[in-house]
Amino acid sequence: MNSKNKNKILIIILVILLPIIAGIHLFSGTISIHFSDFYSALTHFDSENTNHIIVKNLRFPRLVMGIIAGGGLSIAGLLMQTLFNNPLAGPDILGLNSGSSLFVAFSLMTGIPFFNSDFGTIMSALLGAFAFGLVILAFSMVVKSHVSLLLIGIMLGSFTGAFVSILQSLSNPEDLKMFIMWAMGSLQQVEFSQLPIIILFFISGTLSCLFVVKSLDALVLGESQALLLGIKVKYIRIILIAITAILTGLITAFCGPIAFVGLAVPNLVKILFKTQSHRTLLIGCLLTGSVFLLICDIFVQLLESTIHIPINALTSIIGAPFVVVIVLKRLA
Amino acid sequence: MIDLKNIEIGHKSVLFKIDDLQLVKGKMYALIGANGSGKTTFLQSITGINKPLKGEVMVFDNSISKLNRIEKAKTISFVGSKFDGIDYLKVKDYIALGRTPYTNALGRLDETDLKVVNETIELLQLDHLKNKFTTELSDGERQLAAIARAITQQTEIIILDEPTAFLDYANRKKVMELMKKISIELNKCVIVSSHDLELCLESEIDLLVVSKKASVLKLYEANSLSKIELIEIGF
Repeated sequence: MNSKNKNKILIIILVILLPIIAGIHLFSGTISIHFSDFYSALTHFDSENTNHIIVKNLRFPRLVMGIIAGGGLSIAGLLMQTLFNNPLAGPDILGLNSGSSLFVAFSLMTGIPFFNSDFGTIMSALLGAFAFGLVILAFSMVVKSHVSLLLIGIMLGSFTGAFVSILQSLSNPEDLKMFIMWAMGSLQQVEFSQLPIIILFFISGTLSCLFVVKSLDALVLGESQALLLGIKVKYIRIILIAITAILTGLITAFCGPIAFVGLAVPNLVKILFKTQSHRTLLIGCLLTGSVFLLICDIFVQLLESTIHIPINALTSIIGAPFVVVIVLKRLA
Repeated sequence: MIDLKNIEIGHKSVLFKIDDLQLVKGKMYALIGANGSGKTTFLQSITGINKPLKGEVMVFDNSISKLNRIEKAKTISFVGSKFDGIDYLKVKDYIALGRTPYTNALGRLDETDLKVVNETIELLQLDHLKNKFTTELSDGERQLAAIARAITQQTEIIILDEPTAFLDYANRKKVMELMKKISIELNKCVIVSSHDLELCLESEIDLLVVSKKASVLKLYEANSLSKIELIEIGF
């Protein structure tokens, strides 16, 4: 009972913390904007007012993307970790991100108009992540060692990286610039008008988790035991890859690859909540991931006037040592 | 309740045959045979993970392969030889996972589920462990937790694959006595595979022996075999 109450309090703290951090995020940036402008920019938008333009086209989409990318990648990481029974699994390390990158690079450089639309980009990123997810799933049936599977994921990433480089060298300068900007990773590439479709995909991805909560709890015991508890393991595996692909693909399409969030946050959440109940873990990942990525982005914005750090670099600087700590803790 | 008639057990080639065997509720059976004799394959045939090469395993007059996942999960539970514990998974939450076939789509435990979990914890005297993490337990305690998880699954058949392999003598004895008590008091059909001949003989339970020479699985009632006879048949 005690630990359940403790977790409720933790969630309440995170629920209170998220809007506070979101507020700080909105106000951080090189140009200071008054509170009243935020309100009026969203209620009576004035296209002549620079502050309004900054709020609507820059600050607000960036905030929404921060929440979606942080929460979504963390949930995707949790799903991969439970599916593969491996605390070091994640969409990035298993190569789902690189699948998105490859498909997006390919589609951007084909010059076919469909692929330059928002929906086209999302679909190619999503398909890329799903295809690579299925490849990893197929490998996981043969490779029983956790470490080997991670290595295969990393190799898949390098292999794809090479193809992306080749595509880059073949493409015209304009497409190349577009792709390199994308590959740096940023929360600032989204426009206000794109938010509805992004939010729609994000909500459908997150809500689908409700259907697999019970299976995730049982999968913690391993696939064979889950099967004997009546879980449709084969079917659930594909569903989990699909949800991960929706979340990873969506975020990779609009923010570029963001490393380590999916790997580090679920582990942090398990340490904080000390539970294997996926209902709690999913909510924890959603909130903690959002708060974590927004804090990272606040630093990116604060430093922006002196030096531009891609968000991808900052999450790696924080995430990589944390993952090393987890590995050391497991060996000890 | 488990009917085995004209069955051939094996992977690609036949490991052993079963002519005609009935396993009933309220009894505990020890499955004995040499390494590679097909004990695990036999247990997998009963849980429905593998099909027998010939014939069908019948449970309550239904073929096990015809039961759907949920029906099967409500009929047969399985305990492996070793449960290593899982990070941040509490003993009571682990035991409650046995209720998976009964809970709603979200896996929420209702009053009945909680009652079953609490009764099982009481029955196995795990009250002092229930709030610990599964990783904090000793091997013996973890095996008891695994048995508790199987009991909350409320199945007529409980299968244990070498549950005592990693335990010391006191814990081996405890597990066997506990399972015998469960088979009688809760009226379950319990099948335990084991390499521990003395323990199986001491426990006074029926023996299912894979005979080395004839490659046949045969049932010997409790106290009908001496250790020497048992070794002669099985090894």
